Amino acid sequence: MLEIEHLVTGYGGVPVLHDVSLKLGAGELVGLLGANNAGKTTLINNLSGIFTPMSGRILFEGQDVTRLTARQRVELGIVQVPEGRMVFPEMSVRENLLLGGINQRAKPHRAQQMEHVLELFPRLRERLGQKAGTLSGGEQQMLAIGRALMAEARLLMLDEPSLGLSPLFVQYIFGIIDRLHKEGLTILLVEQNLNLTLRHAQRCYVLERGRIAVEGSSDVVKNDPRTRSAYLGL
Amino acid sequence: MTEFMQALAQGVLIGSTYGLLALGMGLVYGVSGVVNFSHGDFISLGMFMCLGLYSALALDPYVSAVITVPVMTAIGAVVYWYLIRPMVGHQFLMVVQLTLGLSLVLQNGILMVFGGQPARTPSMVESKLLILGDVVVRVPHVIAFVVSFALAIGLYVMLRSTDFGRSIRAVHQNANAAALMGIDVRWVQTLTFALGIGLLAIAAALLLPGTPIQPAQGLRYTVITLLVVVLGGMTNFVGIMLGGLIIGISEAFGTIYLSDTLGMLLPYGIFVLIMLFRPQGLTWSSSR
Ligand SMILES: Nc1ncnc2c1ncn2[C@@H]1O[C@H](COP(=O)(O)OP(=O)(O)O)[C@@H](O)[C@H]1O
Ligand SMILES: [Mg+2]
Repeated sequence: MLEIEHLVTGYGGVPVLHDVSLKLGAGELVGLLGANNAGKTTLINNLSGIFTPMSGRILFEGQDVTRLTARQRVELGIVQVPEGRMVFPEMSVRENLLLGGINQRAKPHRAQQMEHVLELFPRLRERLGQKAGTLSGGEQQMLAIGRALMAEARLLMLDEPSLGLSPLFVQYIFGIIDRLHKEGLTILLVEQNLNLTLRHAQRCYVLERGRIAVEGSSDVVKNDPRTRSAYLGL
Repeated sequence: MTEFMQALAQGVLIGSTYGLLALGMGLVYGVSGVVNFSHGDFISLGMFMCLGLYSALALDPYVSAVITVPVMTAIGAVVYWYLIRPMVGHQFLMVVQLTLGLSLVLQNGILMVFGGQPARTPSMVESKLLILGDVVVRVPHVIAFVVSFALAIGLYVMLRSTDFGRSIRAVHQNANAAALMGIDVRWVQTLTFALGIGLLAIAAALLLPGTPIQPAQGLRYTVITLLVVVLGGMTNFVGIMLGGLIIGISEAFGTIYLSDTLGMLLPYGIFVLIMLFRPQGLTWSSSR
């Protein structure tokens, strides 16, 4: 479904990612691990079209999307739940969800999709009229995921969804991720939380200072000594 | 007492149009961080276009608006896309420079076409008066008030309950997140700027009847608009309309109770006073 080939990208001409290649099959739940500053968010923002790579290619269902705008990629179904959730704080939960479904592909079914999201997150239904900025961190994460589902994501990319959440909420959010995966959604899960991700993902990539250090099934990655050293920066 | 009521009425009526002017500037600032120092010169442009249409076709300014609004909206879109957009994200002062330059271009362009003589554009309602008890108000002012408030309410509803309005607010609150929703941020910024300039064309027609115009007046409108926007807290809808009323009222009181030149200074005095006590502007919480 997604193929990244020899991606080099960075900021102001200084590369942050060096020759990153990665593959995601349809319906897979793949983890992208890495310590702080490894380049995970940079990669995901290149996939979303917020930044364009210096070289390399991104293929989505065989189509070259490397030079497409962020908007065109959302229209294709490449949707991101950003790090730090980035809900629109001064807007109600309902407005946030409506904005999630603002792309041309999703817009015609916004009402049904909203019902679907509210079934998934009953908590959001109770808070529909409340400003997103007044929600707790866990509720904001629900909203951020709900908003991405409103966009009718076909490839859902989550950037550190566990960040700053209480263990109980982390469990809940990962339960939701599992459920979405079972329903057939293709998911790229970006995390720092090693053990948690290894438990939920089928395959993982470990990013170390802008390079893929380890890749393979979660068991393989778990037992590879390079995984731990990538984390400790040894 | 009559004089007082008179000044108050006039101030409220004109102030609503100042509020409308400032809403445009506030929206643009909200979505792209651009403060347009040629704002007042676009008002001039709108007014002189009305004058031109009067000379050529004997059109009333209110009728001319049907032509000037779409034309100015289009000009706004072109100016943003080709001149301002490439500067956004660079140093703030570069955009200031650019819009100041634009101000000079507009001002001198108008001077070249229309000459420097003060001019008037007659309107059929120009000298009509409305008498409410002791207070006598000019009909053009009443029209300006009604239209300005209707447009302000329309804008408010648009921002609250349409996808375009929500896109504007989304870009204001978090442009990166808006882009991730598939919103074309640059396009929203361009349309908002165009909308702001289109509003100026309406405001120009509203302010025109009975007002002598000259090419160098733009700066005065820019400054008044800036006062209102800053008073209102830059992006707060209600605050900006309130700021418009305050500046309009202080201007009216200044010209009625004080000498002409001193009176023109009153709004600035009031502005400084308010900012001393409420540097964050008039409003208590953001409504966007
Ligand atoms: N907008 C930016 N401008 C310049 N450098 C950046 C920017 N964002 C991230 N970086 C740098 O790129 C590197 C990777 O950052 P990031 O992708 O955020 O890592 P991660 O998400 O894995 O923590 C870091 O060294 C960071 O300082
Ligand atoms: Mg990150």
